[in-house]
Amino acid sequence: MMKRLLAIGLILVIGYWLANGLAGVPFGEDRMLVGQYYLDNVKQQTGAINAVTAVVVNYRGFDTLGEVTVLFIASTGVGALLWRRKKERTAEVEGSVVLTTGTKLLVPFVILFGSYIFIHGHLTPGGGFPGGATIATAFLLLYMAFTAYEIPHKGFEKTEGVAGMSYVLVGLIGLAIGGYFLFDWIWQTWKIGTVGELLSGGFIPVIYMLIGIKVGTELSGIIDNMIKEGVSE
Amino acid sequence: MGEASKVSRYLYTVIVLFLIWLFLTASLDPQEMLVGLLLALIVGAFTYEIFTTNGLANLSPRRIVYAIAYVPYFLWAMIMANLDVAYRVLHPKRPINPGIVECRTVLKSDVGKLALANSITLTPGTITLDVDGDRYFIHWIDVKDASVEGASRNITAPFEKFLKVIFG
Repeated sequence: MMKRLLAIGLILVIGYWLANGLAGVPFGEDRMLVGQYYLDNVKQQTGAINAVTAVVVNYRGFDTLGEVTVLFIASTGVGALLWRRKKERTAEVEGSVVLTTGTKLLVPFVILFGSYIFIHGHLTPGGGFPGGATIATAFLLLYMAFTAYEIPHKGFEKTEGVAGMSYVLVGLIGLAIGGYFLFDWIWQTWKIGTVGELLSGGFIPVIYMLIGIKVGTELSGIIDNMIKEGVSE
Repeated sequence: MGEASKVSRYLYTVIVLFLIWLFLTASLDPQEMLVGLLLALIVGAFTYEIFTTNGLANLSPRRIVYAIAYVPYFLWAMIMANLDVAYRVLHPKRPINPGIVECRTVLKSDVGKLALANSITLTPGTITLDVDGDRYFIHWIDVKDASVEGASRNITAPFEKFLKVIFG
């Protein structure tokens, strides 16, 4: 009882403190310093309509590279924690015909829609991470509906590595052409595409395609690791 | 119905995926169409084995006509069933007589069984609980006929005359 009261009191104090600090920030007023620069220059400098993806991939590409690394470490960590010599699915109840047939019909659509999200990252909301997560959902569906389903491991792990390396490679090409890492050589040097069409946005669609594939295979790998149980021989 | 050839199944998957892409992008820009076609070819290559067993046979004109005709037929059944349930909810005496009945279906294909199960569930008053072979276990809000034949005549038969042609 004492503990709870103390905890509630502490949370109230912290909440008041935060609210007090935020009260100094006026809501709805123009307080943009660097934000205005992004909005003014995003089309001409990056060729993308979606300012968020332009900032995330182009202006602040290092952060995205870091996020991709974090996800990779998470996937490797789960793999390392749950590592056992022999692992099998121990699920015993196969889904009914409604579940299995529905999954079979849905999986191609889910994968197509995930690809749609990351291919249009520079034009519409979304990008590589939501697209990749959507694709991983398709594999989660397969795992849930079929007791014996397994992702093709060898292909998945290699694809994941190749996609991650290609991201760094795109950045290194920028280093060679433009003088710094993750320089947008496709847009800045070659000027490919017109703003607003699918073929535009410099290297944003290329990088998001790689991130989408990487995230999709990675999350599927995490699902695969967590859904299996070790069996003693 | 036997399994169609791999080429036919692949082509069918690609066609369906490309149509979905056209609806998704809602643009006839050649760049979008090209990327959509590429994507349909790639995604189709990975998923055609689980997506379809009949392949291009699904695209016979008779089936398409029946499928288009089924949409308004089903929507009408859905509206009527919704009104019926609304009446039961609002009625002061709540005239319900719930129970679980067993039905038989004449549909053979899995996709047909899925469509039938979903049609039954989406028309309120009846919910598919489980499907086992050709037996359907259905929760019915107002059981009029508990026998297998009677329940089938009331619940599954109206949809089956369409679904039998569409899916086999």
